[in-house]
Amino acid sequence: MNEEVYKIEGVSFSYGKLFALKDISFSICQGESVGILGANGTGKSTLLKMLNGLVFPTHGSIKFLGTEVSEDALRGDFLRCFRERVGFVFPEPDVQLFCPTVFDELAFGPLQLELPREEVKKRVESLLEMLGIAALRDRAPYTLSSGEKKKVAIASVLSINPDVLLLDEPTNGLDPRTQVWLFEILQRLKELKKTFVMSTHDLSLVEDFAERVIVIDEAHTIAADGPATKVLSDKDLLLRANIIHEHTHRHGNITHIHSHGPFSTHDEHE
Amino acid sequence: MAQVTLPDWFKEARVEPCLTGSKVKPPNFIEKNLNNIASFMREVVSLEEYAAKSGVLQSLDTRARITGMLAIVAACSITSRFAMLAGVFVILFLMMLISGVSFMALARRVLPSFVFTLALAFPVFFNFMTPGTDALKFFDTPVKVSITYEGLSTGLFFMMRVTSMVSLVALLLLTTRQADFFKGLRTLPVPPLFVTALFMTFRYIFILLKIAEDSTLARKSRTIARTKLSESQNWFASRITLILKKSMNMAEEVNMAMASRGFAGRIKTFDNGRMRGRDYLWLGFSSFVLFLSFGL
Ligand SMILES: Nc1ncnc2c1ncn2[C@@H]1O[C@H](COP(=O)(O)OP(=O)(O)O)[C@@H](O)[C@H]1O
Ligand SMILES: [Mg+2]
Repeated sequence: MNEEVYKIEGVSFSYGKLFALKDISFSICQGESVGILGANGTGKSTLLKMLNGLVFPTHGSIKFLGTEVSEDALRGDFLRCFRERVGFVFPEPDVQLFCPTVFDELAFGPLQLELPREEVKKRVESLLEMLGIAALRDRAPYTLSSGEKKKVAIASVLSINPDVLLLDEPTNGLDPRTQVWLFEILQRLKELKKTFVMSTHDLSLVEDFAERVIVIDEAHTIAADGPATKVLSDKDLLLRANIIHEHTHRHGNITHIHSHGPFSTHDEHE
Repeated sequence: MAQVTLPDWFKEARVEPCLTGSKVKPPNFIEKNLNNIASFMREVVSLEEYAAKSGVLQSLDTRARITGMLAIVAACSITSRFAMLAGVFVILFLMMLISGVSFMALARRVLPSFVFTLALAFPVFFNFMTPGTDALKFFDTPVKVSITYEGLSTGLFFMMRVTSMVSLVALLLLTTRQADFFKGLRTLPVPPLFVTALFMTFRYIFILLKIAEDSTLARKSRTIARTKLSESQNWFASRITLILKKSMNMAEEVNMAMASRGFAGRIKTFDNGRMRGRDYLWLGFSSFVLFLSFGL
């Protein structure tokens, strides 16, 4: 078995009196691709923020490579090690992009981590090239279209070259072509044995991309955790967790797993 | 699962034709202004048309451009001589020419502050604020109201001082890309916290504008009748509260997004390029202007 990256034990989180997560436990190993499925407001974003050390559990503990991710730990030497290894793509690119130009945006992370300037330049240039956004180099991020913003947001995290990528609803609001673009990039990165944790409602993305699925139900607890093929074929479970809907969602009729990209239509599976 | 039943009025077909060609009603005051403010702010902050031109000012190193410009601004605030301010206006005019900035572009940015200063300085022109020799007399009885020479001189000087300073800053901002401006500031001996704060302020202004614009548009798309002014006012007040709340939430997320990418209190950036001959020339010139202002 691969090295254990995250160990989450008995974690709860509440905003005031309101629970966002209740008694969550699971581990994630290196190279795994985990999809977090859950209806709106079940606590997916909160979970990812905790995995990125941005908010901290009210109860329980989160360990990253054996070290507890706590406020104290992130004030010490652990901060750099942690920020270098874990990247977080926010659901709303407008929030994530705050630099004056796209170039600066990509350079921001590596510069904060004090990589040599030359190395930073090299990384940014090659990333702009690889992601096909070289033309946006000197544009101000807030002037971009939402698809372009998303690309830049993803690039700005990739420039750190993290081992673990946390993606919060990555395909939300993307047009089909950008979704394919994203899917292909993620596939390339997967070959590099990176670890992925992705929250989404996009079942087809999870189906194609994740080997393991964790379902959070509306009671903010884990309803299922297992191989994607197994969890996704459990129609009752997905119905109970309000992830699929019998009458309005095509996936409601699926009883077998079939591979198709995030771009194909589902009509032929009737 | 309960079926959604549409009420009957939903099913009635619309038979009357679409009317067109009536007199167009102008937008009301508040709607117009919220839009104007938003687009004006956006323009002021993001217009890079002049910054991208290949003028003399633009070719200077950003640090030198900012420092030199601020030195002349300081000179304006120190001097007590008309000649000095007149000289600055000449310099300003020349700089405008050699950097390809049109008079109108600059005037549009300076005008609001000009009007404001005029309103502020207005009483100074009169004898009750500045007694002295009458230049223009309006009444003698029951109270004397006149414009005095002393008032004219004080008022005009004040106006010229403020206008020259505002124009210089406007020209600086017009000829500097926003990105370079912050980079330039960071390499100057300005407290880094101040630069970061200023930068974040810009960020928030943009978030605020975006939310504000979106919500005006959302309202507009649902409005048919021309709204009454009082209604608009109420809506505006409630909207402002909502916008502020929303932007507070977003501000928190922005901080998280920065922390997530390794930000720990101080922004690190690339070093700027080296300063060249013309940069030193410009710094020398602006220091000279500043020096003159102490004596003159
Ligand atoms: N900043 C906050 N303050 C108060 N409650 C919040 C805040 N953020 C999220 N919540 C609440 O926590 C719960 C989980 O939210 P979130 O993690 O965003 O869910 P998801 O991403 O699955 O939609 C929701 O009920 C939401 O209303
Ligand atoms: Mg969410």
